[in-house]
Amino acid sequence: MAARNALLRHLRVNVNPSPALPFTTVLLRRFSEEVRGSFLDKSDVTDRVISIVKNFQTVDPSKVAPKAHFHNDLGLDSLDSVEVVMALEEEFGFEIPDNDADKIQSVDLAVDFIASHPQAT
Amino acid sequence: MVDKGQVISLCRSLLRAGRQYPDYNIREYTKRMTLDGFRMNKNLTDHSKVEEAYAEGKKQMEVVERVVKVYLAYPPKTKNIMELKLQ
Repeated sequence: MAARNALLRHLRVNVNPSPALPFTTVLLRRFSEEVRGSFLDKSDVTDRVISIVKNFQTVDPSKVAPKAHFHNDLGLDSLDSVEVVMALEEEFGFEIPDNDADKIQSVDLAVDFIASHPQAT
Repeated sequence: MVDKGQVISLCRSLLRAGRQYPDYNIREYTKRMTLDGFRMNKNLTDHSKVEEAYAEGKKQMEVVERVVKVYLAYPPKTKNIMELKLQ
């Protein structure tokens, strides 16, 4: 009995079993996925952009096509383009810098820009 | 001399500043007021009037930046019903 107690006093047994995978590698794997970023599917982006432009107040929904130009086809002026780009920023959850925003003057330019931006969600 | 690019970037910065409000009502109000204000003065040709309108816009920009800080100190506790997505 005393021998048993003396033995136990010197032994240390693991109560919690160690996980199958070491904790740090699991963390690193997840972190690298998020850092790489993901690009959105182009047809999905096109649908979302078209629905936002269609819902715009001064736009005729039947004229909105994937190649529609804001000024030439949809009759929007520069202030309307600013409003559309702001709505796109809100939909896709990322900021579009001013000089890029000035260049987005048609639906397909918007789709190309958003689909090639890793921060778009 | 204020040119078109400056006007557009003032409009954009006003809209961006207005987006920071946590309260739905004042957020929509700011957006509506900036767009209506810029559209109203869209066709001005007289340089002095354009300068006046631009200065007014700059003043409003300062106001928005100041007031946003106050609103952010007391954010609303519940979401406004207009912000909920339709099921």
